Amino acid sequence: MVGMPLIPTQWGCHNVSVPPVSTPITIGFLTAMQESSGWLGGYLVTNSWGRPLEFRLTTAVQPNRVQTALYGPTLTEYVLADLIGKTLVEKTAAKPDLIVTDVPLALGLRSRVEMPVISVKLENVALPADTTAFTHSRSSLGLLFLAKFASERDAIMKLLERVDPAVDLVEPFTRIREAVSEARKMGVTKSAA
Amino acid sequence: MQPDDDAGHPSEPERQRGTEALQGTNEALAGARARTYSPQNSPALDIVELDLALATDAHADARFERTLEPNVRETRLLTDSPWVRSVGRLEMSVASEGWKFPAPPVELKPPPPRIVTEPAAGRHEKNLPQLPDKDQQAKKAIRAKPTADTVVFKDRLLCLLQPPLDGLFDGRQLEVPFQPFPYQLEGIAFLMPRHSALLADEMGLGKTAQIILSLRLLFHQGVIRRGLIVCPKPLVFNWARELKSWAPDLPFETIEGDREKRRSAWFTSNCPLKIVNYETLTRDYEYSSDPKVAFDVVVCDEAQRIKNRDSKTAQVVCAIPRARSWAISGTPIENHPDDLVNIFAFVDPDRIPPDTPPKRLQQLTSDCILRRTKDLVQSDMPPKIMHDLEIELTPAQRAAYDLAHKDGVIHLNDLGDTITVQHVFQLVMRLKQICNFDPRTGESAKMERLLADMEEVAESGQKAIIFSQWVEPLHAIAKQLERFGPLEYHGKIPQPERTPILDRFKNDPTKHVLLMSYGTGSVGLNLQFTNYVFLFDRWWNPAIEDQAINRAHRIGQKNTVNVTRFLSSETIEQRIASVLDAKRKVFNDLLANAEKPATMGLSEEEIFGLFDIRNRPKRAA
Repeated sequence: MVGMPLIPTQWGCHNVSVPPVSTPITIGFLTAMQESSGWLGGYLVTNSWGRPLEFRLTTAVQPNRVQTALYGPTLTEYVLADLIGKTLVEKTAAKPDLIVTDVPLALGLRSRVEMPVISVKLENVALPADTTAFTHSRSSLGLLFLAKFASERDAIMKLLERVDPAVDLVEPFTRIREAVSEARKMGVTKSAA
Repeated sequence: MQPDDDAGHPSEPERQRGTEALQGTNEALAGARARTYSPQNSPALDIVELDLALATDAHADARFERTLEPNVRETRLLTDSPWVRSVGRLEMSVASEGWKFPAPPVELKPPPPRIVTEPAAGRHEKNLPQLPDKDQQAKKAIRAKPTADTVVFKDRLLCLLQPPLDGLFDGRQLEVPFQPFPYQLEGIAFLMPRHSALLADEMGLGKTAQIILSLRLLFHQGVIRRGLIVCPKPLVFNWARELKSWAPDLPFETIEGDREKRRSAWFTSNCPLKIVNYETLTRDYEYSSDPKVAFDVVVCDEAQRIKNRDSKTAQVVCAIPRARSWAISGTPIENHPDDLVNIFAFVDPDRIPPDTPPKRLQQLTSDCILRRTKDLVQSDMPPKIMHDLEIELTPAQRAAYDLAHKDGVIHLNDLGDTITVQHVFQLVMRLKQICNFDPRTGESAKMERLLADMEEVAESGQKAIIFSQWVEPLHAIAKQLERFGPLEYHGKIPQPERTPILDRFKNDPTKHVLLMSYGTGSVGLNLQFTNYVFLFDRWWNPAIEDQAINRAHRIGQKNTVNVTRFLSSETIEQRIASVLDAKRKVFNDLLANAEKPATMGLSEEEIFGLFDIRNRPKRAA
């Protein structure tokens, strides 16, 4: 039996056996896309089955030339972690137990939030310095976290074990991109506020 | 201003006086030097007092007498603020917008650890046919897409952000008896985002499973919290069994019992999913139409039951307060395009305007209808082989038939304009019964052939279903097939005994044959463990025959299904079959064609045309 309980027993109707309820895990999937209009962030919070609980996206962030010059090499991390990542996490009501991103340069978000942040390791994507790679059956691609948070490794592994085995951590980013595309078609990305 | 040449130069007398004074001084200095440093005179030095006072003579210099006039130029002093150019805000900001979705109604428990020795826990995939393109199909992500009329962005988002369906039913996340076929996942993707839907798959393609899985996922998402399934009474048990199989985590209850119990089920029970049969629903009209019992989704099974818009059943079903209206029917158009129009009075009352010509129906309804035939999904199903077996009547049958035919036609012609279609029906029935068994001797050419075929079926350990229009022939067949362990399933079998009969037929290896009437056994039953179907006589409507055949040829069937249709040559059966074959061809194209036939069964004119009679009923002016 691998079925999930859905309905509490007090409904008293046919056919249900409900095992003890445990605290479900919540996962935040953070992505950022660099487009002609700038960096645009999308953030999907799901339950451990990958079902959507909350979705949030940002307006595009386009640093000007002076900002680019003055922020220097810190610009990308500032935009991804401080500006987009932190904003999305803080403004979203559903608080995740774990944040997964497909933009490794956003791993710096970990310094701004209280929960572990890991990244899936896409090909041909810039990596920040000092990352630690690992693998897990919940992800079809390799995973990364910042080496300075190596002490969180065990906690991350335990969290990943609580994710449903059918979930692939890489998959939800496809959904986010489709949703962002839909939002763009509907003109929502311009009005996000 | 004086010219620069005169400025600062002495005049000539002044120069003369200056020269004389300078000469006197030089002479005095020379005399003193001679006296002081002469070697001969060194012992006795004379000290001479020199008067070194210089006589000065000051003269005014004309150049300094002139007034100085400074040349003034203006120069900016650094007293102003430095020049600053703005480079804009260095601080960046971002705005965001978010959407919250309905949470699942209860907390979910993480899946239990998988049993290593049972690689496909909760699944029975070993029983499924191996599909040649299975691997390729498995890679294709099947996801629900928002419909064109989903205008609220949040609703579109909720649809787009759902996980792909093909990962949900692989046995890891949701318990299912076997992994749904790709076309079934597409059916679920079709149903889930729709508030108005007619699932019109051909019989045997697993419509019930598609509906149940769609309901299950919507319950999980928290999108729906109250659902109602309306079905024919004989199918209540089937729905219950399928729900246990396809949605073991979804509680349900059947609305039945006395009035008070039913009232409680309608109003006070918080069971999320209820099943009610059409008869009970009609009886409970005052409850089911009460706005307080509003449902998030109402599923109308065998929706051809509401094809008559004016019937009490149709009115009661359409009056149920609901947000989503899903209808199921493998034969949404049994007789006339109006059948479809009337089903849409439930599915989406505003979609088909009054007096819409039939050729516009497809255009208006196509977005709400999903119909797949086995031909379309044949890679998912083993084949069905049809044998139309023409049989010569025995001499006794032929004599009885010819006599009955001759007398019958004479009688019909004698009726004049008092003739009705019922008179013709009576003759047809009489002739068809003779085609089955000779009324005097009990001889049957069909029976002889059936016995031979059943020997083969039983020897190979297979099972067969035999359909007839009447119960009496089923009794006669049962007697002659005694050694094959016949079981009967028809309208004269009490309802509580029917399910155990099906269970025995499935599980008892000595029971090789099930005798069913079209009326009782043609819908909703899953007998896919059977590989042989015999139609001992033919029904009036090809759709009903198809439903009967598809009890065996349906999802879960792993072997070829052999269907034998007995047909007595040179009889009324052959004439009816010719008409029905033409009808069947039209029916198969019906949902895709713009032009609809006037009727799917035999029309009155066609029934009269079965015999050489010129009389027609007298019509009121």
